[in-house]
Amino acid sequence: MSEEMEKLYQERLTRYVTAMRNEKPDRVPIRPFAAEFAAKYAGYTCQEVTHDIDLAFAAMRKCAADFNWDATVGNMVYVWTGLVDAFGMKYYTIPGIDASPDSAFQYLEPPDEENAFMKEDEYDELIADPTAFLANVWMPRISRYVGAKGEPTSYRNNLAWLKGGMAMLTYFQKFGEQNSLLRTESGTVSAIAGIFKAPFDIIADKLRGYRPLCVDIHRQPEKVIAATEALMPHMLFHAMATADPEKKVPITVWLHRGCAPFLSPDAFEKFQWPTLKKIIEDLWAQGHQILFYAEGNWNGNLKYISELPEKSIIFQVDKTDIFAAHREFGDKFCLSGGIPNDLLAFGTPDEVRSYCKKVIDGVARDGGYIMDAGAIFQDDAKIENVKAMTEFTVEYGVY
Amino acid sequence: MAEQEGAIKPGVCIPWQEQRKEYPQIMGDEKIVRKVWEEVDTLAYLYIWACLIQF
Repeated sequence: MSEEMEKLYQERLTRYVTAMRNEKPDRVPIRPFAAEFAAKYAGYTCQEVTHDIDLAFAAMRKCAADFNWDATVGNMVYVWTGLVDAFGMKYYTIPGIDASPDSAFQYLEPPDEENAFMKEDEYDELIADPTAFLANVWMPRISRYVGAKGEPTSYRNNLAWLKGGMAMLTYFQKFGEQNSLLRTESGTVSAIAGIFKAPFDIIADKLRGYRPLCVDIHRQPEKVIAATEALMPHMLFHAMATADPEKKVPITVWLHRGCAPFLSPDAFEKFQWPTLKKIIEDLWAQGHQILFYAEGNWNGNLKYISELPEKSIIFQVDKTDIFAAHREFGDKFCLSGGIPNDLLAFGTPDEVRSYCKKVIDGVARDGGYIMDAGAIFQDDAKIENVKAMTEFTVEYGVY
Repeated sequence: MAEQEGAIKPGVCIPWQEQRKEYPQIMGDEKIVRKVWEEVDTLAYLYIWACLIQF
Protein backbone atom coordinates (compact mmCIF):
# COMPACT_ATOMS: atom_id res chain seq x y z
CA MET A 1 0.00 0.00 0.00
CA SER A 2 1.31 3.44 -0.85
CA GLU A 3 2.04 5.86 1.96
CA GLU A 4 -0.32 8.32 0.33
CA MET A 5 -3.20 5.83 0.36
CA GLU A 6 -2.57 4.90 3.98
CA LYS A 7 -2.53 8.59 4.90
CA LEU A 8 -5.88 9.03 3.17
CA TYR A 9 -7.26 6.00 4.98
CA GLN A 10 -6.14 7.33 8.36
CA GLU A 11 -7.64 10.76 7.62
CA ARG A 12 -10.94 9.16 6.76
CA LEU A 13 -10.89 6.84 9.74
CA THR A 14 -10.26 9.79 12.05
CA ARG A 15 -13.06 11.80 10.39
CA TYR A 16 -15.51 8.91 10.63
CA VAL A 17 -14.69 7.90 14.20
CA THR A 18 -14.70 11.53 15.42
CA ALA A 19 -18.21 12.06 14.05
CA MET A 20 -19.43 8.76 15.52
CA ARG A 21 -18.22 9.89 18.95
CA ASN A 22 -20.51 12.91 18.45
CA GLU A 23 -17.57 15.26 18.05
CA LYS A 24 -16.61 17.66 15.25
CA PRO A 25 -14.24 16.29 12.57
CA ASP A 26 -12.68 18.32 9.72
CA ARG A 27 -15.79 17.77 7.61
CA VAL A 28 -18.97 15.71 7.54
CA PRO A 29 -17.97 12.13 6.71
CA ILE A 30 -19.72 10.29 3.88
CA ARG A 31 -20.66 6.68 4.55
CA PRO A 32 -23.18 5.32 2.03
CA PHE A 33 -24.54 1.80 2.27
CA ALA A 34 -24.94 0.81 -1.38
CA ALA A 35 -26.45 -2.53 -2.36
CA GLU A 36 -27.62 -3.17 -5.93
CA PHE A 37 -26.71 0.42 -6.75
CA ALA A 38 -23.07 -0.71 -6.87
CA ALA A 39 -23.95 -3.38 -9.42
CA LYS A 40 -25.74 -0.87 -11.62
CA TYR A 41 -22.87 1.58 -11.37
CA ALA A 42 -20.27 -1.08 -12.22
CA GLY A 43 -22.33 -2.52 -15.08
CA TYR A 44 -23.47 -5.81 -13.55
CA THR A 45 -26.93 -7.30 -13.19
CA CYS A 46 -28.49 -8.12 -9.83
CA GLN A 47 -28.09 -11.78 -10.71
CA GLU A 48 -24.36 -11.37 -11.32
CA VAL A 49 -23.61 -9.74 -7.97
CA THR A 50 -25.93 -12.04 -6.03
CA HIS A 51 -24.34 -15.18 -7.46
CA ASP A 52 -20.75 -14.11 -7.97
CA ILE A 53 -19.38 -12.68 -4.75
CA ASP A 54 -16.17 -11.54 -6.47
CA LEU A 55 -18.19 -9.34 -8.84
CA ALA A 56 -20.16 -7.94 -5.89
CA PHE A 57 -16.93 -7.02 -4.13
CA ALA A 58 -15.41 -5.56 -7.31
CA ALA A 59 -18.51 -3.41 -7.84
CA MET A 60 -18.28 -1.98 -4.33
CA ARG A 61 -14.57 -1.24 -4.70
CA LYS A 62 -15.28 0.62 -7.92
CA CYS A 63 -17.98 2.68 -6.19
CA ALA A 64 -15.77 3.44 -3.23
CA ALA A 65 -12.88 4.53 -5.44
CA ASP A 66 -14.88 6.55 -7.96
CA PHE A 67 -17.13 8.33 -5.46
CA ASN A 68 -14.35 8.88 -2.92
CA TRP A 69 -16.50 7.83 0.02
CA ASP A 70 -14.92 7.98 3.46
CA ALA A 71 -16.42 4.69 4.56
CA THR A 72 -18.72 2.03 3.22
CA VAL A 73 -19.54 -1.66 3.53
CA GLY A 74 -17.67 -4.14 1.33
CA ASN A 75 -20.88 -5.71 0.11
CA MET A 76 -24.49 -5.01 0.97
CA VAL A 77 -25.97 -7.64 -1.36
CA TYR A 78 -25.65 -10.03 1.53
CA VAL A 79 -27.59 -12.91 0.02
CA TRP A 80 -24.79 -14.77 -1.68
CA THR A 81 -26.27 -17.68 -3.59
CA GLY A 82 -23.18 -19.74 -2.91
CA LEU A 83 -24.31 -20.01 0.69
CA VAL A 84 -28.08 -19.71 0.70
CA ASP A 85 -28.59 -22.08 -2.22
CA ALA A 86 -26.06 -24.60 -0.92
CA PHE A 87 -28.05 -24.83 2.30
CA GLY A 88 -31.32 -24.67 0.39
CA MET A 89 -32.74 -21.68 2.26
CA LYS A 90 -36.37 -21.33 1.25
CA TYR A 91 -36.94 -17.76 2.32
CA TYR A 92 -35.30 -15.86 -0.50
CA THR A 93 -36.23 -15.19 -4.06
CA ILE A 94 -32.98 -15.12 -5.98
CA PRO A 95 -32.41 -12.97 -9.06
CA GLY A 96 -31.90 -15.17 -12.08
CA ILE A 97 -33.61 -18.18 -10.45
CA ASP A 98 -37.08 -17.29 -9.23
CA ALA A 99 -36.83 -13.55 -9.86
CA SER A 100 -35.75 -11.49 -12.83
CA PRO A 101 -31.96 -11.17 -13.27
CA ASP A 102 -32.52 -7.41 -12.85
CA SER A 103 -34.44 -7.62 -9.56
CA ALA A 104 -32.91 -7.48 -6.11
CA PHE A 105 -33.30 -10.56 -3.91
CA GLN A 106 -36.36 -10.57 -1.66
CA TYR A 107 -36.96 -12.05 1.76
CA LEU A 108 -40.16 -14.12 2.01
CA GLU A 109 -41.39 -13.90 5.56
CA PRO A 110 -43.72 -16.64 6.82
CA PRO A 111 -47.15 -15.05 6.32
CA ASP A 112 -49.25 -17.20 8.64
CA GLU A 113 -49.31 -19.90 11.30
CA GLU A 114 -49.32 -22.74 8.81
CA ASN A 115 -46.10 -21.57 7.21
CA ALA A 116 -44.35 -20.24 10.31
CA PHE A 117 -40.85 -21.66 10.84
CA MET A 118 -41.65 -21.91 14.54
CA LYS A 119 -45.10 -22.96 15.70
CA GLU A 120 -47.17 -21.23 18.35
CA ASP A 121 -46.68 -24.06 20.86
CA GLU A 122 -42.89 -24.24 20.48
CA TYR A 123 -41.85 -21.30 22.66
CA ASP A 124 -40.81 -23.55 25.54
CA GLU A 125 -38.52 -25.59 23.29
CA LEU A 126 -36.91 -22.43 21.94
CA ILE A 127 -36.48 -20.96 25.41
CA ALA A 128 -34.98 -24.16 26.88
CA ASP A 129 -32.11 -24.34 24.37
CA PRO A 130 -32.24 -21.82 21.53
CA THR A 131 -29.22 -23.24 19.68
CA ALA A 132 -30.58 -26.79 19.69
CA PHE A 133 -33.96 -25.49 18.59
CA LEU A 134 -32.39 -23.70 15.64
CA ALA A 135 -30.35 -26.74 14.59
CA ASN A 136 -33.04 -29.37 15.13
CA VAL A 137 -36.25 -27.57 14.28
CA TRP A 138 -35.66 -24.27 12.51
CA MET A 139 -32.92 -25.26 10.08
CA PRO A 140 -34.79 -28.29 8.71
CA ARG A 141 -37.83 -26.10 8.15
CA ILE A 142 -36.00 -23.32 6.32
CA SER A 143 -33.93 -25.69 4.18
CA ARG A 144 -35.03 -27.62 1.13
CA TYR A 145 -32.43 -30.29 1.90
CA VAL A 146 -32.05 -30.68 5.66
CA GLY A 147 -34.16 -33.39 7.25
CA ALA A 148 -35.95 -32.97 10.56
CA LYS A 149 -34.59 -34.58 13.70
CA GLY A 150 -35.42 -38.28 13.72
CA GLU A 151 -36.00 -38.51 9.99
CA PRO A 152 -33.73 -40.73 7.88
CA THR A 153 -30.69 -38.80 6.71
CA SER A 154 -29.85 -38.30 3.04
CA TYR A 155 -26.96 -37.40 0.79
CA ARG A 156 -28.57 -33.98 0.21
CA ASN A 157 -28.94 -33.43 3.95
CA ASN A 158 -25.33 -34.26 4.68
CA LEU A 159 -24.02 -32.12 1.84
CA ALA A 160 -26.19 -29.16 2.82
CA TRP A 161 -24.54 -28.95 6.24
CA LEU A 162 -21.07 -29.42 4.75
CA LYS A 163 -21.48 -27.01 1.86
CA GLY A 164 -23.21 -24.39 4.00
CA GLY A 165 -20.33 -24.34 6.48
CA MET A 166 -17.68 -24.25 3.79
CA ALA A 167 -19.51 -21.52 1.91
CA MET A 168 -19.80 -19.35 5.00
CA LEU A 169 -16.10 -19.78 5.71
CA THR A 170 -15.34 -18.74 2.13
CA TYR A 171 -17.66 -15.74 2.35
CA PHE A 172 -16.12 -14.28 5.48
CA GLN A 173 -12.56 -14.97 4.34
CA LYS A 174 -13.30 -13.05 1.17
CA PHE A 175 -14.91 -10.28 3.20
CA GLY A 176 -11.67 -9.84 5.14
CA GLU A 177 -9.74 -9.60 1.88
CA GLN A 178 -12.30 -7.10 0.57
CA ASN A 179 -11.82 -4.83 3.58
CA SER A 180 -8.06 -4.89 3.02
CA LEU A 181 -8.49 -4.06 -0.66
CA LEU A 182 -10.81 -1.15 0.14
CA ARG A 183 -8.08 0.20 2.37
CA THR A 184 -5.16 -0.27 -0.03
CA GLU A 185 -6.88 0.53 -3.33
CA SER A 186 -8.94 3.56 -2.39
CA GLY A 187 -8.21 4.38 1.25
CA THR A 188 -11.81 3.56 2.16
CA VAL A 189 -12.76 2.58 5.69
CA SER A 190 -14.83 -0.55 6.23
CA ALA A 191 -17.71 1.11 8.04
CA ILE A 192 -19.04 -1.59 10.33
CA ALA A 193 -18.10 -4.88 11.96
CA GLY A 194 -20.34 -7.12 13.97
CA ILE A 195 -24.06 -7.64 13.87
CA PHE A 196 -27.03 -8.53 15.98
CA LYS A 197 -30.77 -8.21 15.81
CA ALA A 198 -33.24 -7.22 18.47
CA PRO A 199 -34.60 -10.48 19.89
CA PHE A 200 -38.16 -9.40 19.12
CA ASP A 201 -37.21 -8.65 15.51
CA ILE A 202 -35.60 -12.02 14.97
CA ILE A 203 -38.69 -13.79 16.27
CA ALA A 204 -40.77 -11.70 13.87
CA ASP A 205 -38.44 -12.09 10.89
CA LYS A 206 -37.22 -15.65 10.98
CA LEU A 207 -39.13 -17.67 13.56
CA ARG A 208 -42.80 -16.86 13.95
CA GLY A 209 -43.31 -14.24 11.25
CA TYR A 210 -44.67 -10.81 12.06
CA ARG A 211 -48.36 -11.63 11.76
CA PRO A 212 -48.32 -14.78 13.93
CA LEU A 213 -46.15 -12.90 16.45
CA CYS A 214 -48.75 -10.13 16.65
CA VAL A 215 -51.25 -12.77 17.74
CA ASP A 216 -48.79 -14.16 20.29
CA ILE A 217 -48.23 -10.81 22.01
CA HIS A 218 -51.92 -10.89 22.93
CA ARG A 219 -52.46 -14.62 23.52
CA GLN A 220 -49.18 -15.58 25.18
CA PRO A 221 -47.27 -12.38 26.01
CA GLU A 222 -45.25 -14.01 28.80
CA LYS A 223 -43.87 -16.59 26.38
CA VAL A 224 -42.87 -13.88 23.91
CA ILE A 225 -41.04 -11.94 26.62
CA ALA A 226 -39.35 -15.11 27.89
CA ALA A 227 -38.23 -15.92 24.35
CA THR A 228 -36.70 -12.46 23.87
CA GLU A 229 -34.85 -12.95 27.15
CA ALA A 230 -33.64 -16.40 26.10
CA LEU A 231 -32.33 -15.04 22.79
CA MET A 232 -30.68 -11.99 24.33
CA PRO A 233 -27.39 -13.58 25.52
CA HIS A 234 -26.94 -15.23 22.14
CA MET A 235 -27.37 -11.92 20.33
CA LEU A 236 -24.81 -10.42 22.66
CA PHE A 237 -22.37 -13.28 22.05
CA HIS A 238 -22.79 -13.08 18.27
CA ALA A 239 -22.30 -9.32 18.32
CA MET A 240 -19.10 -9.63 20.35
CA ALA A 241 -17.75 -12.50 18.24
CA THR A 242 -18.13 -10.50 15.04
CA ALA A 243 -17.14 -7.05 16.35
CA ASP A 244 -14.12 -4.89 15.55
CA PRO A 245 -11.44 -5.95 18.07
CA GLU A 246 -10.02 -2.42 17.96
CA LYS A 247 -13.46 -1.05 18.87
CA LYS A 248 -13.29 1.73 16.30
CA VAL A 249 -16.13 0.90 13.93
CA PRO A 250 -19.54 0.04 15.31
CA ILE A 251 -21.55 -3.15 15.62
CA THR A 252 -24.82 -2.78 13.73
CA VAL A 253 -28.28 -3.66 14.93
CA TRP A 254 -30.64 -3.74 11.96
CA LEU A 255 -34.05 -2.74 13.29
CA HIS A 256 -37.20 -3.07 11.28
CA ARG A 257 -40.08 -4.00 13.56
CA GLY A 258 -39.76 -1.69 16.53
CA CYS A 259 -41.60 1.33 15.22
CA ALA A 260 -45.18 2.17 14.30
CA PRO A 261 -47.08 0.89 12.43
CA PHE A 262 -45.49 -2.47 13.28
CA LEU A 263 -45.47 -1.89 17.04
CA SER A 264 -47.13 0.79 19.11
CA PRO A 265 -44.80 2.61 21.52
CA ASP A 266 -46.47 0.73 24.40
CA ALA A 267 -45.83 -2.65 22.75
CA PHE A 268 -42.29 -1.55 21.90
CA GLU A 269 -41.70 -0.70 25.56
CA LYS A 270 -43.00 -4.06 26.68
CA PHE A 271 -41.68 -6.50 24.08
CA GLN A 272 -38.75 -5.06 22.18
CA TRP A 273 -37.06 -2.39 24.21
CA PRO A 274 -36.02 -4.21 27.43
CA THR A 275 -33.73 -6.75 25.77
CA LEU A 276 -32.59 -4.42 23.00
CA LYS A 277 -31.60 -1.80 25.55
CA LYS A 278 -29.79 -4.34 27.72
CA ILE A 279 -27.73 -5.68 24.80
CA ILE A 280 -26.69 -2.16 23.79
CA GLU A 281 -25.79 -1.24 27.36
CA ASP A 282 -23.71 -4.40 27.74
CA LEU A 283 -21.86 -3.86 24.45
CA TRP A 284 -21.20 -0.22 25.29
CA ALA A 285 -19.89 -1.24 28.71
CA GLN A 286 -17.34 -3.32 26.82
CA GLY A 287 -16.37 -0.37 24.63
CA HIS A 288 -18.37 -1.09 21.47
CA GLN A 289 -20.50 1.56 19.79
CA ILE A 290 -23.70 0.45 18.08
CA LEU A 291 -25.02 1.65 14.76
CA PHE A 292 -28.73 1.81 15.62
CA TYR A 293 -30.09 1.22 12.13
CA ALA A 294 -33.64 2.42 12.69
CA GLU A 295 -35.50 1.48 9.55
CA GLY A 296 -38.86 3.21 9.20
CA ASN A 297 -40.21 6.10 11.25
CA TRP A 298 -39.13 6.09 14.90
CA ASN A 299 -40.65 9.44 15.88
CA GLY A 300 -42.79 7.73 18.51
CA ASN A 301 -39.83 5.96 20.12
CA LEU A 302 -37.30 8.78 20.49
CA LYS A 303 -37.83 9.16 24.24
CA TYR A 304 -36.77 5.54 24.75
CA ILE A 305 -33.63 5.92 22.65
CA SER A 306 -32.69 8.89 24.83
CA GLU A 307 -32.32 6.51 27.76
CA LEU A 308 -29.19 4.93 26.26
CA PRO A 309 -25.76 5.97 27.52
CA GLU A 310 -24.20 9.00 25.89
CA LYS A 311 -22.24 8.12 22.69
CA SER A 312 -23.29 4.47 22.89
CA ILE A 313 -25.09 4.61 19.53
CA ILE A 314 -25.05 6.23 16.13
CA PHE A 315 -28.72 6.74 15.29
CA GLN A 316 -29.46 6.02 11.62
CA VAL A 317 -32.33 8.14 10.34
CA ASP A 318 -34.50 6.52 7.71
CA LYS A 319 -37.99 8.06 7.81
CA THR A 320 -37.64 9.47 11.32
CA ASP A 321 -37.80 13.28 11.50
CA ILE A 322 -34.07 14.00 11.61
CA PHE A 323 -34.60 17.42 13.15
CA ALA A 324 -36.77 15.99 15.91
CA ALA A 325 -34.14 13.31 16.56
CA HIS A 326 -31.47 16.02 16.74
CA ARG A 327 -33.54 18.01 19.23
CA GLU A 328 -34.23 14.90 21.31
CA PHE A 329 -30.72 13.51 21.58
CA GLY A 330 -28.35 15.40 19.28
CA ASP A 331 -26.28 16.29 22.33
CA LYS A 332 -25.87 12.59 23.20
CA PHE A 333 -25.61 10.67 19.93
CA CYS A 334 -24.23 11.04 16.44
CA LEU A 335 -26.90 10.91 13.70
CA SER A 336 -26.40 9.38 10.27
CA GLY A 337 -28.44 9.20 7.09
CA GLY A 338 -31.67 11.11 6.67
CA ILE A 339 -31.45 11.75 2.92
CA PRO A 340 -34.66 10.11 1.66
CA ASN A 341 -34.15 7.11 -0.61
CA ASP A 342 -37.06 8.18 -2.78
CA LEU A 343 -35.36 11.52 -3.33
CA LEU A 344 -32.26 9.70 -4.57
CA ALA A 345 -34.46 7.57 -6.83
CA PHE A 346 -36.90 10.16 -8.18
CA GLY A 347 -35.45 13.60 -7.41
CA THR A 348 -33.01 15.76 -9.29
CA PRO A 349 -29.40 16.58 -8.31
CA ASP A 350 -30.48 20.11 -7.37
CA GLU A 351 -33.18 18.74 -5.07
CA VAL A 352 -30.64 16.37 -3.50
CA ARG A 353 -28.14 19.18 -2.90
CA SER A 354 -30.89 21.33 -1.38
CA TYR A 355 -31.97 18.54 0.99
CA CYS A 356 -28.37 17.79 2.00
CA LYS A 357 -27.90 21.49 2.80
CA LYS A 358 -31.02 21.48 4.96
CA VAL A 359 -29.79 18.45 6.88
CA ILE A 360 -26.23 19.70 7.35
CA ASP A 361 -27.48 23.14 8.44
CA GLY A 362 -30.04 21.60 10.76
CA VAL A 363 -28.18 18.84 12.55
CA ALA A 364 -24.45 18.93 11.73
CA ARG A 365 -23.31 22.36 12.91
CA ASP A 366 -21.48 20.95 15.90
CA GLY A 367 -20.34 17.70 14.30
CA GLY A 368 -21.91 14.37 15.17
CA TYR A 369 -23.43 13.73 11.75
CA ILE A 370 -22.58 11.27 8.96
CA MET A 371 -23.96 11.76 5.45
CA ASP A 372 -25.89 8.85 3.98
CA ALA A 373 -29.21 7.91 2.49
CA GLY A 374 -31.96 6.98 4.91
CA ALA A 375 -31.52 3.30 4.19
CA ILE A 376 -29.42 0.93 2.11
CA PHE A 377 -29.93 2.00 -1.47
CA GLN A 378 -30.65 -0.30 -4.36
CA ASP A 379 -30.53 0.10 -8.11
CA ASP A 380 -33.31 2.66 -8.19
CA ALA A 381 -31.02 5.39 -6.84
CA LYS A 382 -29.86 7.61 -9.69
CA ILE A 383 -26.11 7.77 -10.15
CA GLU A 384 -26.20 11.55 -10.63
CA ASN A 385 -28.10 11.95 -7.35
CA VAL A 386 -25.65 9.84 -5.35
CA LYS A 387 -22.87 11.86 -6.95
CA ALA A 388 -24.64 15.10 -5.97
CA MET A 389 -25.03 13.93 -2.35
CA THR A 390 -21.35 13.05 -2.20
CA GLU A 391 -19.89 16.10 -3.94
CA PHE A 392 -22.12 18.56 -2.10
CA THR A 393 -21.03 17.12 1.26
CA VAL A 394 -17.35 17.28 0.34
CA GLU A 395 -17.76 20.98 -0.54
CA TYR A 396 -20.34 22.21 1.96
CA GLY A 397 -19.67 19.85 4.86
CA VAL A 398 -16.27 21.31 5.74
CA TYR A 399 -16.05 22.68 9.29
CA MET B 1 -33.44 -10.74 32.93
CA ALA B 2 -30.85 -12.98 34.49
CA GLU B 3 -29.47 -15.76 32.36
CA GLN B 4 -31.52 -18.92 32.76
CA GLU B 5 -30.17 -21.25 35.39
CA GLY B 6 -28.80 -24.43 33.89
CA ALA B 7 -29.13 -23.08 30.35
CA ILE B 8 -26.43 -23.93 27.85
CA LYS B 9 -24.16 -20.91 27.59
CA PRO B 10 -23.89 -18.81 24.45
CA GLY B 11 -21.07 -20.03 22.23
CA VAL B 12 -21.76 -23.68 23.05
CA CYS B 13 -23.65 -26.35 21.11
CA ILE B 14 -22.60 -29.43 23.08
CA PRO B 15 -21.06 -28.65 26.48
CA TRP B 16 -17.73 -30.28 27.29
CA GLN B 17 -19.27 -32.03 30.28
CA GLU B 18 -21.54 -33.89 27.90
CA GLN B 19 -18.84 -34.59 25.34
CA ARG B 20 -16.48 -35.85 28.07
CA LYS B 21 -18.76 -38.84 28.60
CA GLU B 22 -17.98 -39.97 25.05
CA TYR B 23 -14.39 -40.82 26.00
CA PRO B 24 -13.85 -43.91 28.17
CA GLN B 25 -10.57 -42.34 29.21
CA ILE B 26 -8.25 -39.50 28.32
CA MET B 27 -4.72 -40.68 28.79
CA GLY B 28 -3.04 -37.32 28.23
CA ASP B 29 -3.88 -33.75 29.16
CA GLU B 30 -7.65 -33.33 29.26
CA LYS B 31 -7.34 -29.56 29.08
CA ILE B 32 -5.93 -29.75 25.54
CA VAL B 33 -8.73 -32.01 24.38
CA ARG B 34 -11.31 -29.76 25.98
CA LYS B 35 -9.84 -26.54 24.56
CA VAL B 36 -9.89 -27.79 20.99
CA TRP B 37 -13.34 -29.31 21.36
CA GLU B 38 -14.78 -26.08 22.69
CA GLU B 39 -13.12 -23.90 20.04
CA VAL B 40 -14.53 -25.93 17.17
CA ASP B 41 -17.88 -26.31 18.90
CA THR B 42 -18.08 -22.51 18.98
CA LEU B 43 -17.55 -22.40 15.20
CA ALA B 44 -20.60 -24.62 14.75
CA TYR B 45 -22.51 -22.37 17.13
CA LEU B 46 -21.54 -19.29 15.14
CA TYR B 47 -22.57 -20.96 11.90
CA ILE B 48 -26.05 -21.70 13.23
CA TRP B 49 -26.56 -18.22 14.64
CA ALA B 50 -25.07 -16.49 11.61
CA CYS B 51 -27.61 -18.32 9.44
CA LEU B 52 -30.36 -16.93 11.66
CA ILE B 53 -29.04 -13.40 12.06
CA GLN B 54 -27.08 -12.68 8.90
CA PHE B 55 -28.46 -14.78 6.03
